[in-house]
Amino acid sequence: MAREFQRGHKARISDLTAGTDLYVGVQIAGPGLSFDISCFGLDADERLSDDRYFIFYNQPKSPEESIQLLGAQAGDTESFRVTLDRIPQQIKKLSFTATIDGAGQMSQIGPGYIRIVAGGEEVARYPFSGSEFTTERAVMLGDFYFKDVWRFAAVGQGFDGGLEALLRNFGGEVAEDEPAAPEPQQPAQPQAPQATPGFAPPAFGAPGGGAPAPAPQPAQGFTPPPAPAPAPAPSPVHSAPTIVAPMQTPPGGSPVPPPAPAPAPYGGQTPPPPPGYGQPPAPPQAPAPPAGYGQPPAAPQAPAPPPGYGQPPAPQAPAPPPGYGQQPPPGQMPPGQMPHQHAPYGAPQGMPQGAPQTPGVLGALQQFKETPTGQRWTQQNKKLVRADLSIGGTPVLARQGSMVLYQGKVDFSYKGAGFTGRIVGNATGQEMQLMRCTGQGQVFFAENSTMLHPIELQGDAVCVSAENVLAFDEGLQYEVRRIEGHGIPGGALFTMQFQGTGTIVVKTHGIPVVLPVTPTTFADANAVVAWSAAAQVVVSSQVRMRRNSYPGATGESVNLQFRGAPGNFIVVQPYEI
Amino acid sequence: MNQPLAGFAPAPVTARMENHGNHMLKVAMQTGHDLFARVGSMVAYEGFIQYEPSPSAVRQIARDWVTGEGAPLMKCSGDGLLYLADYGANVVVINLNGEGISVNATNLLAFDAHLTWGVERVKGLAKFAGQGLWNTKISGQGWVALTSRGKPIVVDCGGGEDETYVDPDALVAWSPNLKVKGKRSFRAQSLIGRGSGEAFQMAFSGQGIVVVQPSEDSTDRLRVRG
Repeated sequence: MAREFQRGHKARISDLTAGTDLYVGVQIAGPGLSFDISCFGLDADERLSDDRYFIFYNQPKSPEESIQLLGAQAGDTESFRVTLDRIPQQIKKLSFTATIDGAGQMSQIGPGYIRIVAGGEEVARYPFSGSEFTTERAVMLGDFYFKDVWRFAAVGQGFDGGLEALLRNFGGEVAEDEPAAPEPQQPAQPQAPQATPGFAPPAFGAPGGGAPAPAPQPAQGFTPPPAPAPAPAPSPVHSAPTIVAPMQTPPGGSPVPPPAPAPAPYGGQTPPPPPGYGQPPAPPQAPAPPAGYGQPPAAPQAPAPPPGYGQPPAPQAPAPPPGYGQQPPPGQMPPGQMPHQHAPYGAPQGMPQGAPQTPGVLGALQQFKETPTGQRWTQQNKKLVRADLSIGGTPVLARQGSMVLYQGKVDFSYKGAGFTGRIVGNATGQEMQLMRCTGQGQVFFAENSTMLHPIELQGDAVCVSAENVLAFDEGLQYEVRRIEGHGIPGGALFTMQFQGTGTIVVKTHGIPVVLPVTPTTFADANAVVAWSAAAQVVVSSQVRMRRNSYPGATGESVNLQFRGAPGNFIVVQPYEI
Repeated sequence: MNQPLAGFAPAPVTARMENHGNHMLKVAMQTGHDLFARVGSMVAYEGFIQYEPSPSAVRQIARDWVTGEGAPLMKCSGDGLLYLADYGANVVVINLNGEGISVNATNLLAFDAHLTWGVERVKGLAKFAGQGLWNTKISGQGWVALTSRGKPIVVDCGGGEDETYVDPDALVAWSPNLKVKGKRSFRAQSLIGRGSGEAFQMAFSGQGIVVVQPSEDSTDRLRVRG
């Protein structure tokens, strides 16, 4: 389980995980804000003595690839791969930072986190939210630092000055270049950041979404500019966007992180979409003199090939004049710009699985591969559970028909005898039929794409509505109970009480809610899935039937009331059988 | 007003077929690059796209689908963006790149028209009357989109003697070079009077993969609801 960090907490990485190949994910978002998330590799004096260890969108990896930028994935706004044992000696600290690109301040951000994942498991997480910040525009989220061994610290400190202040904090050289960069854009300087938030993120989403899983490919595909911070001459910045717009290379003079020309490098990063190119380079037109407006929108319009892709030009055309004229805060952008501004969010959402970049059947299906473990019960995904009969050796009982696949020598037999005798006896003839799976091999269970929840019992007990039992270890003691009451369809509700050591797989339609049992906890008899049968709670007597005064018509005719000592819970699904 | 919805705008096109979310397919259509899609799967389109329900060539091939197991197809042509979905099923996009795949007819959502495809009877399942009787084999250079009720799982058959047994109702697709046969895993006595259960499985052996959905609901919704 992930360890939660608070601001200021520190821990040895070796205490968190034995691995040195770490995935660091940062999630940070705020309405109308866009973020640049970067990693600074600092020397013993906490200086960025080597530019090549400033890992950001324009330089996605360090020379020996010990630090790599992976892009947005798995719910993270930005992610890195850090291989601790390959980090060179002189680098003593990695500082992960987030800076707001454009207008805004950190107090506007929603809940976010920085987390460390090792071996597919989250080992540490430092959650933060806007309430911890005020007017900061750049925040150091967390540090990896080397003091005898590598350690992690949750920092959560920021600078009002944004990226420039951050750079100044870490070392002089880069910072000096920074102020120079915006200067040439004098005429439109304040507008520039306005324009960017809308355009910058789509590219953010694109490389991330486009890359399947942990993919350094996009990084390799595009060559990191050797010098991260060349001070651009004023004129190239102006001329470049208009002329070079559809081209792939960033205008030579694009300074590192400052807002305005940033989109150009993004454009370079995005793999192949022709319409995309027309789009991202457009923002640099912001600083261009107004006279240019007539021209630039036309340019992307022309090459945009099929009418279906008409999207980019359309919003672009109306956007510039109002946007530049009024510089409204991002939240109140003129409608023309809206689609653009939000397209970025669409990007990560639109392709969470990522378009399979790897061609071929196997490449496309890689993400659905079964997850190997050495455990008896493995949840393959939310709706599929694998039981390895070879481990543990006891048979598994499962609802008939719930097996979707098996490998190995597995024998399925009808589970009848005493058990069935007790569970049948329902007026409607409805019965729960079980099968016993024995042998050596792996069996995959699923039913009707319901969500599955393996519950591991270690001596405790739980009651599950018989409808919702999918499979369980035969080693568990179970007992069928019958809750009778007027108005229950079929005359009675069957529940199974499980006790002992083993696993039960419970299925729910939809994401269930787990409620604590209070004196006033009621649940629909059809929607309740399970409840704790902790000591002293005798289910049959704890449940009281109520009959509606007007039976039939209005639906909620049967409610169950639960009572129990604090600590008990009930599980209810958003679905009434 | 657009704020909460704006996040669902489509991402820029980067490939012929892409997922929009987990449940929707986005196809970038171009003239001369037609697409076969399940009849009724179109949910939206942008641009100039024309639909021809089961064109004659398809009908020819689909004649084999006598049992009604087959899935009627339509041919889509034109320029623009086409969005397809199948009643909330997960969509899996595959770039075949010269490889082939056998797909259960009801799990096929769309594929490039220039791919080599054919409907064939699953060998070795002569008397088997489930839905796995007919399948569509697709191969070539291009894209295929499959549907799966719930996130699918891909299992490697391993290639050895061991067979992988799949519930035919949960089967989505498999590598065409796998050997398929039917299997009854319940002993006779357990079948008598106690039907249902896992009466039949399809056994796969050889080198390749099997794609399985976490649901045994093999209803063809596009067909059932029209």
